[in-house]
Amino acid sequence: MRRITDLSAFNEVREAGLAKLLPPGPRIAIGMGTCGTGNGAESVYHAFADAINQRGLGVKLARTGCFGFCAAEPLVNVWLPGKPLVILQRVQPNDVDAILDDLLAGRMPAGLALCKIEEWDHITGHVKYGAGCPEIPHWYDTAFFKGQKKIVLRNCGLISPGDIDEYFAVGGYQALYKALIDANPEAIIESIKVAKLRGRGGAGYQTGIKWDFLRKAKAEQKYIICNADEGDPGAYMNRNEIESDPHSLLEGMIIGGYVMGATEGIIYARAEYPLAVHRLNSAIEQAKEYGLLGENILNRGFKFNLRLVEGAGAFVCGEETALIRSLEGKAGRPTPRPPYPAESGLYGMPTNINNVETWYNIAPIVIKGAAWFTETGSPKSSGTKVFSLVGKVTNTGLVEMPLGTPLKTFVYDVGGGGTNGRAIKAVQTGGPSGGCIPMDMFDTAVDYESLGQLGSIMGSGGMVVMDEDNCMVDVARYFIEFTHSESCGKCIPCRVGLDKSLHYLNRISHGKGTAADLELLDELSRMIRDTSLCGLGQTAPNPVLTTMRHFRHEFEDHIRAGRCRAGVCEDLALSPCENSCPLHMNIPRFLQLLKEDRLEEAFLSVVMDNPLPASTGRVCQHPCDDRCRRAGIDEAVNMREVHRHIADAIYPTERFDALAAQVAARRLPPTGKKCAVVGAGPTGLACAFYLALLGHEVMVYDSNAAAGGMLRYALPDYRLPKDVLDLEIELIRRTGVQFTFDTQVPKDVSLNDLDSQYDSVFLAIGTWKESWVYLPGTELTGVIPALPFLEAISKQQPVPLGKNVAVIGGGNAAIDSARTALRLGSKVTIIYRRERKDMPAIAEETEAAEAEGAQIMFLATPHRIIGSPDGKVQAIEAVKTRLGEYDSSGRRRPIPTDEIVRMACDTVILAVGETVDADFAKASGLKIKESGLIEVDRYTLETSRPNFYAGGDLITGASNVSNAMGYGKKAARKIDQRLTGERRWDQIFPKFDIDQTPPAHPSASGRHHVTEVDAAERAKTFADATIGLAPVEAMEEACRCLRCDIRNGDHQ
Amino acid sequence: MPQKISLRIDGELIHTAGQRSILEVALEHGKFIPSLCHMKGLASVGACRLCIVEVAGVGRVLPACSTPVQDGMAVTTQSDKLRRYRKIALELLFAERNHVCAVCVSNGHCELQGLATKLGVTGVRYPYTFPKIGVDLTHKKFTLDQNRCILCTRCVRVCAEVEGAHVWDVSSRGVGSRLVCELNRKWGESRNCTSCGKCVQSCPTGALAEKGFAVEEMTKRTEPISRLTALRGVRP
Repeated sequence: MRRITDLSAFNEVREAGLAKLLPPGPRIAIGMGTCGTGNGAESVYHAFADAINQRGLGVKLARTGCFGFCAAEPLVNVWLPGKPLVILQRVQPNDVDAILDDLLAGRMPAGLALCKIEEWDHITGHVKYGAGCPEIPHWYDTAFFKGQKKIVLRNCGLISPGDIDEYFAVGGYQALYKALIDANPEAIIESIKVAKLRGRGGAGYQTGIKWDFLRKAKAEQKYIICNADEGDPGAYMNRNEIESDPHSLLEGMIIGGYVMGATEGIIYARAEYPLAVHRLNSAIEQAKEYGLLGENILNRGFKFNLRLVEGAGAFVCGEETALIRSLEGKAGRPTPRPPYPAESGLYGMPTNINNVETWYNIAPIVIKGAAWFTETGSPKSSGTKVFSLVGKVTNTGLVEMPLGTPLKTFVYDVGGGGTNGRAIKAVQTGGPSGGCIPMDMFDTAVDYESLGQLGSIMGSGGMVVMDEDNCMVDVARYFIEFTHSESCGKCIPCRVGLDKSLHYLNRISHGKGTAADLELLDELSRMIRDTSLCGLGQTAPNPVLTTMRHFRHEFEDHIRAGRCRAGVCEDLALSPCENSCPLHMNIPRFLQLLKEDRLEEAFLSVVMDNPLPASTGRVCQHPCDDRCRRAGIDEAVNMREVHRHIADAIYPTERFDALAAQVAARRLPPTGKKCAVVGAGPTGLACAFYLALLGHEVMVYDSNAAAGGMLRYALPDYRLPKDVLDLEIELIRRTGVQFTFDTQVPKDVSLNDLDSQYDSVFLAIGTWKESWVYLPGTELTGVIPALPFLEAISKQQPVPLGKNVAVIGGGNAAIDSARTALRLGSKVTIIYRRERKDMPAIAEETEAAEAEGAQIMFLATPHRIIGSPDGKVQAIEAVKTRLGEYDSSGRRRPIPTDEIVRMACDTVILAVGETVDADFAKASGLKIKESGLIEVDRYTLETSRPNFYAGGDLITGASNVSNAMGYGKKAARKIDQRLTGERRWDQIFPKFDIDQTPPAHPSASGRHHVTEVDAAERAKTFADATIGLAPVEAMEEACRCLRCDIRNGDHQ
Repeated sequence: MPQKISLRIDGELIHTAGQRSILEVALEHGKFIPSLCHMKGLASVGACRLCIVEVAGVGRVLPACSTPVQDGMAVTTQSDKLRRYRKIALELLFAERNHVCAVCVSNGHCELQGLATKLGVTGVRYPYTFPKIGVDLTHKKFTLDQNRCILCTRCVRVCAEVEGAHVWDVSSRGVGSRLVCELNRKWGESRNCTSCGKCVQSCPTGALAEKGFAVEEMTKRTEPISRLTALRGVRP
């Protein structure tokens, strides 16, 4: 190699580089950043090398950096002359032969193709690969890359980072050459100022102004430093940039040195990035050989030396003054500013520090000018920013987006939403220095100002997506643990303050926190933020402050209810399934009891946790399925069906009486207290059961003639046979619960009467009022609300149902109505305004309805009902919708189109949700929320009237059976505490001695499902539509459990 | 000669030379700004964060010891927020180590104790850390009791900047930070210590003390050191 001293030598290198980039034959380049290598790129590379050798092929093989789509690693680029560059995803060594065969035959391996690139704008250069392959999507049309604009990552994944010639080939070092020939440093500073380039390290200071300071500083020696000490958990932008394209950094710094009058540059990189360090070192060597570093650069008389220093790994060394101290060989502790580094930096000399990414933006601005740069981004923040999008999102990877892009674009469009369709809860930007932004604020534009307003920061670009499995207390605790251990210890707020913050957060996550802790934590966090010496301390409390601001209820849950909804805080949850169960059933215990062949004890365990196990075993929404860790291996354990099996194995048999007696025997001695429960639905029954066991005298009032509420009068028989329900209620009755039927509160018995007769009153009358849709035609004959319809069927009253039924809605009531109508011989179409995945109904139910012949029209909003002259329903018209922007619930909003569909029908069932009967709410005299629901204390369920409690749908709005029962159970516990002033709850539960060793070999079997009765058969009758698990299947399900409830010795 | 500037501190108009810190100027004019790591004659490190003040037009609080005065500046040295934050800082110091005044040689002459009294810190709301840390009695004249150290680094600076020996420094980081003699030697085995005692005199608490003193007996004097640096022209 020789020094480049003139333009012709420069162009020669460029030509040589182009010949490597676009060789006469096929080129295969394997993405070998740390990310690719970690996913097996090394073995893919060797497989290619061996195959090419063995076959003696003329194929050029190269190692490139990473193209950014981490979720699809290892990525391989293949190119044939005249064809586009095709990026293959998830390539494994055994794919190699097939890929080579395809290439040799002149084909692109379409099966593995992620996308194609026909031409690429390297900003400083332009490469045309070729056209064709219409079956492969363009890179900018794939979800992950759509909307991305690659300025910083312009060369990443496309050129070999180890070969300076390839960097020349895409226009590398042209900006440097231009800068040296133009010899007008002021003009460059001016254009950086006009370009409004801001520091990409996080603080966002104007780069041009900073450069101007150093240029104007007078000193014998000036330094420029690149801060490559990227230490945030979850952030790897700089690592990838350096690994994939080290020369862009060099070029930016050499230009910087020239412009600012510095002859010495230092790159301070993390020692934990060995590949980045290696590639930088070899890039520096190559640049020296070409005369791009050292004396008389490009023969223009400019001298500049660059060296690399490996940081020892302290996070605080990312702070500029600490970094400078570290470079000087001192301990990495920050010093107060002023003096700023531009006055007195390294060895007391004027110094400029910029982040890696800032340097990457220099060459494009020099070549393309400020006006071009400001075309991208928001008015105050030009250009793009690279983010590492990680966490609970489908498409993880490096994303370069224009500044000002809304957060939801990152999460839902590029990121593809939550993994496995989970609901996303928040995004943490800026790593430990940033904050959590909740989902309902995802409209926020990602730029310095907007994120700052929410208490977060942009930081260097980490973006961690969190879903419902993330506990926000734990998130705050995690980050404080990090900053606490990374604090240098110089100033008091950061050193001691973070230590105490961590103490409080630990306490809260162990369930030992108090409300006072929360206040102290809040005040302390503000003090640390406002008074710390350096950026680390000033930003360290951000995760606490933002989570306390946006997720305060989670902190309160931990403190007041000892509850970690996400199930992360180990001390507050037995297992993920138990934690997700509204009744907190000890699921691993009954599975283990069944496994140990102790059926009766299993029944006892189940029924003590959940007094309606056979009913819930059929109709529960089974949130446990979504949390089961077994799903990480194959599918969740079918816990709901196992407890249905256990219940069904006892209830209709002769063992029932003995077991019911055992349950009743758990009853504590009479307390002499009298409790009234209003409503004999699942909420009321659960509350009555536990109150009776706690020794209180319980009377349940209901306006109907039998107990069960919605279970009896809304759930059709094919879902829940009523003889099953009757036995369950019989068991509850045997604990001493009494019932008064056909009595309506407050019509027949007033609240005052109840107050005078009872020590406490629990209201659980549910939501029996069908919401009405206000659209033309609802007054017509043939329009019926769902609940009264289902109720009439269950009471075997006649219902005027037509032949063609349209059901409006997507909840369980809609599906129940549809399946009931089918059984009555009608044709049914369900009209739902969103997509299938957004339906609130249980997915199995929807599928069953379809199998039985129901049609579902998705993305359609009813617009009017058309009647005949005699006032009967004739047809329904719906506006077809398309999916628009994501709304604050993370679902795409339906937007009406011009298309209207008309469907002939004679009955319309409205099932758009149920609400509290407003007359009851008003008559009760209790405090009511704006939504019409009864207002209660979230933790004690107390209403505004002393001794009156409320729970279930009455306080939450229409929900589901297990949620409702959860409230009943909780209310009993709270009422007992208030009545007796003691904590007697645990006394009523029997203890079971079960095996506490984790199963060494959990059953390898897949999930067992219930047997569905043939759709055509079952649609004819109201008999049970499913047949529960067989004993051997239930046993196998129990054996599939991984026993997440077992703890290490130190947790017991 | 640095140029003359004017500023207001707590409303009072003050004329002074530039290039000086707010703390210096304020103390000179009889204002009270608490501080522990600051000592006249030594470089400012801004570690204790007690000398925070508010400056009009600046959104955040600034350390008076390392913020230079500027023409037209309006400084507030006392406000509810400043008082609250200063008290928290003191409470944190008490919670961090084992400050048991009743058995301390500096009881009654301790700057930490004095400030706590002055600022009305009557209790510590944060849980005590109770670290297990030792005492170094190996030096023939002096003692080091880490339990009372607040890491103000006055000893570090006075030894390095004035005596020129740089015996002291701080090892480790975060709450694990400890004052360390040379490269973690016992003080008695130090090769550079001149036994001048400047570190002991500079120490605001009883962490560094002379041997032979009982509880409450150890008093310290920093003025001779400050005068010495002024005479030498190291710092005004």
